[in-house]
Amino acid sequence: MNYLYDGTFEGLMTAVYYHYKKEKADGIYELNSYQQSIVFQSEVVNTDISKAKTVSDAINKLISREAYIHIYYCHLSNAIDKENIILDFLIFAFKYGRNTMNFYTHEKVLPINEIYKKVAREEHRILGILRFSDIGGILYAKYSPDNDVSILLAEHFADRYKYEKFIIYDEKRKKTVIYSDNNWEIKENINIDNIEFSANEKRIHNLWKQYFTDLAIEERKNLNLQFQFVPARYRKDMTEFK
Amino acid sequence: MDDNLFEKLRILSDAAKYDVSCVSSGVERKNNSVGGIGNASAAGICHAWSSDGRCISLLKILLTNDCIYDCKYCLNRVTNPVKRASFTPEEVAELTIQFYRRNYIEGLFLSSAVEKSPDYTMENIYRTLELLRYKYNFWGYVHVKVIPGANSLLVQKAGMLADRMSVNIELPTKASLHLLAPQKKAENILQPMSLIHNEISRAIEDKSHFKNAERFVPGGQSTQMIIGATPDSDRTILNVSQNLYDKYRMKRVFFSAYIPVASSPNLPAVSTMPPLVREHRLYQADWLMRFYYFNSEELFTEIEPNLDLEFDPKMMYALRHLDKFPIEINKASYEELLRIPGLGVTSAQRIIRERKNAELSYDSLKKMKTVLKRAKYFMTVKGKYYGNTKFDPDSIKNEIRMKEIQKQISIFEFQGWGTHP
Repeated sequence: MNYLYDGTFEGLMTAVYYHYKKEKADGIYELNSYQQSIVFQSEVVNTDISKAKTVSDAINKLISREAYIHIYYCHLSNAIDKENIILDFLIFAFKYGRNTMNFYTHEKVLPINEIYKKVAREEHRILGILRFSDIGGILYAKYSPDNDVSILLAEHFADRYKYEKFIIYDEKRKKTVIYSDNNWEIKENINIDNIEFSANEKRIHNLWKQYFTDLAIEERKNLNLQFQFVPARYRKDMTEFK
Repeated sequence: MDDNLFEKLRILSDAAKYDVSCVSSGVERKNNSVGGIGNASAAGICHAWSSDGRCISLLKILLTNDCIYDCKYCLNRVTNPVKRASFTPEEVAELTIQFYRRNYIEGLFLSSAVEKSPDYTMENIYRTLELLRYKYNFWGYVHVKVIPGANSLLVQKAGMLADRMSVNIELPTKASLHLLAPQKKAENILQPMSLIHNEISRAIEDKSHFKNAERFVPGGQSTQMIIGATPDSDRTILNVSQNLYDKYRMKRVFFSAYIPVASSPNLPAVSTMPPLVREHRLYQADWLMRFYYFNSEELFTEIEPNLDLEFDPKMMYALRHLDKFPIEINKASYEELLRIPGLGVTSAQRIIRERKNAELSYDSLKKMKTVLKRAKYFMTVKGKYYGNTKFDPDSIKNEIRMKEIQKQISIFEFQGWGTHP
């Protein structure tokens, strides 16, 4: 049986629930991108919060918190076939329990570790290079990450800018984090056009650009190293490279 | 913000850029203040990378470059005809907040030339801190320089608001300091270092008794010295560092390759290139002392007081002590694993963890992404040696040289210049 889910983490966990409680899964796929198969039957999974929680709790309790976080990050990644990498891992992990994560290089565990590392690395990088602008008192940032890390950024900035209002816009996924008054929510299918900045805002952008340029030491110039840290694909949304 | 702010920022960031430390790590703090802005993340966050590949984490500026001293190695010495400028504490605070709100920076690193007197300058540094913390309610990371010779009460007050403080030791020895910065006294540098060290210890002690004990420089203190302006050897430099780590519990000792800015009979010629490779080797050695259980003396021989420029210090250590190698990956302790050239802390931890399940094979090391290009000459896996060369220093060196040439790797493509903890 191929289970088709709605792309949410809870949906994925519900599909895992069905694998154990209903019928063994041959695979789990996102409904939107699923190509009908001649060999396998398919069934659409209705996301069910309490079934999802049963699976999440089991992962935390029987495997480990570390495994749970790894799976969660994997689910946010852009890796092809991540659902089945997660499913394979869980089948292995529920057998080996608390010892699972010590099998770092096992073929069922290694992919999870590698994907996790990629997503975590991008998350950390974006925490630094996301750029906000002040639009009439609201802080606004636009970016296009490889992985769907918006939800990971929300907590960080909600604490840092607790008494501000901010919007983080993932242009690639048309997904938006909106924060004000201690609350953040994620809205999908939103289009935000290019925004005009006020004269004062442009002044601050220019101050930053000037500072950024002046700080480089000519005698130590190393553009390759700079590209390693800030790959070209991120630069279009960074004030200092505009 | 008026328009000469651009001019001031240009002058005062240009003067600060040679300062090495830009680290924002070591403090974890939530935004707990009503109406406050900012928090601190223990791992530190880099926000931008300038075209020299250095990380920008903090807004690194001087309060003023208007200096009463005449240190030979410094651009801002009183006898050098450069443009002078001074920020007001208000300007620095406002700029910090505006940059911080846009996520350009993790906080502020405020340094200064000595304007009028050490007390006058330190007072202004303190006022900036006070404005940021109390008027702007800013709880992001702040690192301030201590001006040697300033009243210790000012230093103490600043320490209660800053996350990190540093006093520059400037040069490795008293003799060098006397030669190049005759107005600076070694005692004036060591005295605030020791004050900060004592206050930090006291704050930690207090915290174990009282919940609301005053905090004092929770990110610890650091210092920096200039490399290559004086003939001091690497051995001297690292022994001084070791001493600073031991005696004052320094978080970091930074090295700054001297970039010739002035001609003086006591300084290297202006045409000299900054000793970047040497600086890199010193950082590697410093790393070995802090995370790899090496003692500074283990890195040198009786006849050679400088680090090798071609090979890294751990590799040179291993080549001098081949009798202790090769090390069996499946049996070695954590400390022994760390002695293997090219093998880092992460790999060593991973090896220890993974071999609990089953003996490791060479292939599983590769899967762990362990970098083996140097390590393989100094280890065995299940008793087998994978070095594919004779086990003597020259053969190993030659083998690595050949591989390096094949790959055309530039020694300048290293990472971590003042960026990591």
